[in-house]
Amino acid sequence: MASNPPITDQGPLLTADGTPLKVSLQRSLRQNRNRAMLLVLPPLLFLVLLFVIPIGDMLLRSVDDKLVNEVLPRTFDAFEEWDKQSEPPEELFAALFEDLKAAEKVERGKVSVRMNYAKPGWRSLVKKTSRRLKRMDGPPYKEQFIKIDERWADQEFWLSLGIMKDRYTAGYYWNAVDRTYDFDKNVILQDENRRVYNLLWWRTILVSFIVTIACLLLAYPVSYLLATLPMRISNLLMICVLMPFWTSLLVRIVAWMIMLQQNGVVNDTLVWAGLLGEENRLAMMYNFNGTIIVMTQILLPFMILPIFSVMKTIPPSYMKAAQNLGATPTMAFIRVYMPQTIPGVGAGCILVFIVAIGYYITPELVGGKDGRLIGNMVAHHMQRSLNWGLAAAMGTILLIMILLLYWIYDKIVGIDNMKMG
Amino acid sequence: MTDNDHLVRFVDIQKSYDGESLVVKNLNLDVAKGEFLTMLGPSGSGKTTCLMMLAGFEPATHGEIYLNERPINRVPPHKRGIGMVFQNYALFPHMTVAENLAFPLEVRHMDKTEREQRVKRALDMVQLGAFGDRRPAQLSGGQQQRVAVARSLVFDPDLVLMDEPLGALDKNLREQMQYEIKHIHENLGLTVVYVTHDQSEALTMSNRIAVFDDGIIQQCAPPEVLYEEPLNAFVAHFIGENNRLLGKVIEDNGDTVKVDIDNDPGTVVANRINVGGVGERTTLSLRPERVTVNPEPGELPNIFSAKAEELIYLGDHIRTRFTVCGHDDFIVKIPNSAVHAHLKEGDTVNIGWNAEDCRALDPSD
Amino acid sequence: MKTTLKLTLLASVVAATSAAQAVNIVSWGGAYTASQQKAYQETYKDPDSINFINYNGGLGEVRTQVESGNVTWDIVDVLPDQARTGCDEGLFEELDRSIFTPAADGTSMDDDIMVEVPNDCVVPQIFWSYVPFYEEGTFQGAQPETIADFFNVKKFPGKRGIHTWPQALIEMALAADGVAIKDIYKVMSTDEGIDRAFAMLDKIKDHAVFWSSGAKPLELVKSGEVSMSIAYNGRIGAAVLSEGEKFVTVWDGQVLEEEWLVLMKGAPNREAALEFLVHASSPASQAEQAKYINYGPMRASAFEIMASGEPWFHNGKTIMEHMPNRPEVMARSIIANPDWWADYGDSITERYTAWMGQ
Repeated sequence: MASNPPITDQGPLLTADGTPLKVSLQRSLRQNRNRAMLLVLPPLLFLVLLFVIPIGDMLLRSVDDKLVNEVLPRTFDAFEEWDKQSEPPEELFAALFEDLKAAEKVERGKVSVRMNYAKPGWRSLVKKTSRRLKRMDGPPYKEQFIKIDERWADQEFWLSLGIMKDRYTAGYYWNAVDRTYDFDKNVILQDENRRVYNLLWWRTILVSFIVTIACLLLAYPVSYLLATLPMRISNLLMICVLMPFWTSLLVRIVAWMIMLQQNGVVNDTLVWAGLLGEENRLAMMYNFNGTIIVMTQILLPFMILPIFSVMKTIPPSYMKAAQNLGATPTMAFIRVYMPQTIPGVGAGCILVFIVAIGYYITPELVGGKDGRLIGNMVAHHMQRSLNWGLAAAMGTILLIMILLLYWIYDKIVGIDNMKMG
Repeated sequence: MTDNDHLVRFVDIQKSYDGESLVVKNLNLDVAKGEFLTMLGPSGSGKTTCLMMLAGFEPATHGEIYLNERPINRVPPHKRGIGMVFQNYALFPHMTVAENLAFPLEVRHMDKTEREQRVKRALDMVQLGAFGDRRPAQLSGGQQQRVAVARSLVFDPDLVLMDEPLGALDKNLREQMQYEIKHIHENLGLTVVYVTHDQSEALTMSNRIAVFDDGIIQQCAPPEVLYEEPLNAFVAHFIGENNRLLGKVIEDNGDTVKVDIDNDPGTVVANRINVGGVGERTTLSLRPERVTVNPEPGELPNIFSAKAEELIYLGDHIRTRFTVCGHDDFIVKIPNSAVHAHLKEGDTVNIGWNAEDCRALDPSD
Repeated sequence: MKTTLKLTLLASVVAATSAAQAVNIVSWGGAYTASQQKAYQETYKDPDSINFINYNGGLGEVRTQVESGNVTWDIVDVLPDQARTGCDEGLFEELDRSIFTPAADGTSMDDDIMVEVPNDCVVPQIFWSYVPFYEEGTFQGAQPETIADFFNVKKFPGKRGIHTWPQALIEMALAADGVAIKDIYKVMSTDEGIDRAFAMLDKIKDHAVFWSSGAKPLELVKSGEVSMSIAYNGRIGAAVLSEGEKFVTVWDGQVLEEEWLVLMKGAPNREAALEFLVHASSPASQAEQAKYINYGPMRASAFEIMASGEPWFHNGKTIMEHMPNRPEVMARSIIANPDWWADYGDSITERYTAWMGQ
């Protein structure tokens, strides 16, 4: 006892051998910390590689417009000189000629694809012209260009360069909400008959909302049953609930097609029972309804599991207590049981909504004319049109919507109140 | 007592969950107004089932329960007007303490001012006046317990049921709460039906204790009667500490019997309580504090030589384990007074007891 | 025990290296890939060195592989627009045209191909088409014979199955409206032409059932949900040739599409893949494929081999009347113009999607 250093006001605390207590503590903790770091490293790396980098890449792609500026520097310089009123001057043609000639073939291809977003037709125009570059004589170029394709005389193509003159662009975002740049880079509405994204955004939100509500209405009683039935029966029911997870998505969708199409089981049964005339068969597939019905079925487990896991932790004594205190069973359920399930309901709703908002395989297969969602457009631009900038912008908007949803949820219910099960 | 003094009557109640075995076998029990009745028994003895039937959460398989002379088998729980404190309190976690207390008043459509008054009164009663805005999770176990009691009383029920309400508390708190509940019972003139498996709790609080075992009330009596005059070996064993000697009746003398102790040449004269005639087996029950160490020869009818095996010093008395009549678990409480010889482990002394204190009961195991 | 372990290890190492050396060919799966395996792989000198992989089309994965530098595919089976975009963007390798097998009469491969070769990346595969069809017995009296009949729900009542993307439908709508086949893309290049096509599509819109997977139109027609549908010609032919279905194809106003094989830029097994491409594009291999599927070979010389070998189909049926590019129907067929779709595809797709959902 007596060998302990005296604790005084002067200076930091020291350990028995005289090292400052803080240093000693740091040292003793370091080993643990290093070991913990080693454990955290692989998942961290995984997260960075598969989450942070791709999302960062997506954000970058959605605004990146460098390529066209780097490949056609002289053209854009000449474009700035041009008064935009008169006929495109010879300097512009000459600059483009120089740029195209200096560019690699692959760069020309990529640039023409980008330019085609600004004005349809650029792609074939650049391609056709590029092929003849070698055979062209020296200046002046204007006549030679127009001879290759008379569209070169069309001022609109030249004016459309204005849309691409900056190295970063918000254009993809505007495209994703049915807006576009005019040639002076003012934001204007897209051509009336090309406006489809806003419709799809609203439809996506509406479908996700309806599917979420439908899932909630179906999942709540099922979860309640699961949570209250004896273990043996509830386990069996649980297997039924999880069955869809173990079945191929396509098999399930085909099963629904057989059930719901106009000559399907449901319609046949209704007609046979005389509830429906042969002429009035219900259209439940290849439209909005089909998307809702099939998505609800597919996403139902995402709602059931969190609600069920919360319900299971609610002891039956609460319901008994409420009734004992004079509440009817219904009132006890509403006032006492339901509020306690909110963490599960919240988690389920968020989960289903988020999954629904990005869904595209199901809508593609059963959506038909008016059941396709924004996810289908993202997939289209990713795989078919290769307009990754637009796809990235739409993906970013989806991401922002989801973050917004989390934020709202956090404000209303509190995110730490969410139980995923 | 006329029937009108009974608040609760169980008449021929039987209960089975699976249709194969009875959990409660032909229960008949009356609870008087203002009484504190405890149902005491080991787990699985049927006591909680009885409470649940009374609260209305379990239907009786057979028989009828009367509340204020009204049959209530078909009355749903929320119309019975019985207060209840649950084992783990069942305080609604999403409501504040005040909201919890207001809940029974709200569902009874009581107006807001009166509601608030009553909640305040109930909280003051359990000394938690300042805690109305807290959530149950922010309270200690003892505080939660008090809130649960206050909630069960706030709507002025005639009858309050308590299902092992103190089980989750530590020993000190439990004892304190026992007194508080007892005082509330006395002050409000409540009728309480209390379920516990803790016999000291039952002895402390109750007017009467119904001892349950195997779906049957073994004995229902005030605590002192249960302790002093157990009617069978189970009650004797379950309530308080108890020395048991097994043997066979060899002589029947009317009020007393002479019993031949198993595996030992000795015979004991015992109070005849619950035993057959000559030749029947019996369990002799003797409280440790009724044994005299070093009695005068001839002073007591039963005197045996005993070897002290173990002594535990407990302040006011010394708990001593003897080997007597071939039993090595015979406990004697020797008062810590100057008159008494101080034993050491291994000493052999004589011990003895009165015939009245040694009760000859039904044979067990 | 130890020896077994060593042997297993050794075997797996060998398996892994040989798998890495196998040429990966990415195609569409189903009967189509099966026909490629029979015609190209099984006739190849070393069938085990070829490994077929399925994909769902599009250049998404291709671009990802090339941009990341981690190329695992060698040969890809692509649609005409992707053949062009991919070559323009440098995702595919430009090939020396002289290495390919000329026709029996000495015509070079590129001149033997029935359409203009778009670039030096492509190796010929087949023609396939979007074409209307119905089931025998659906209509009383007059039977549908022209593309205009497909758009005429008064004369031929019932619903119409169409796909959820605009390609081929715009062309068909204009052909049905009386535009001469040679003028179709000229008309399509004007706003009025597109409006005209959509006006035609409006006529069947309320009767339209939309499909997005190739098997669907056959189910729709078979179940009677629609009376006529657009479908891939190969699906119809397979149902008729192999399953004995009574489907009738309307060989008028079909839209012919090219299907090419391409070599990935940076393909891991470049040399072996090239060798296989030469084998797969020979007239004999091309003709061989038509034994198993009724898509038309791209090379004219392959067509001659088939015509003289009838009945050519593997189960003894004649194949010619199911070939989308046989001479009798070529005059009434629209050859899709991928360059036009590369220019205007985005805006038309947007308009078509909006039109569907209105």
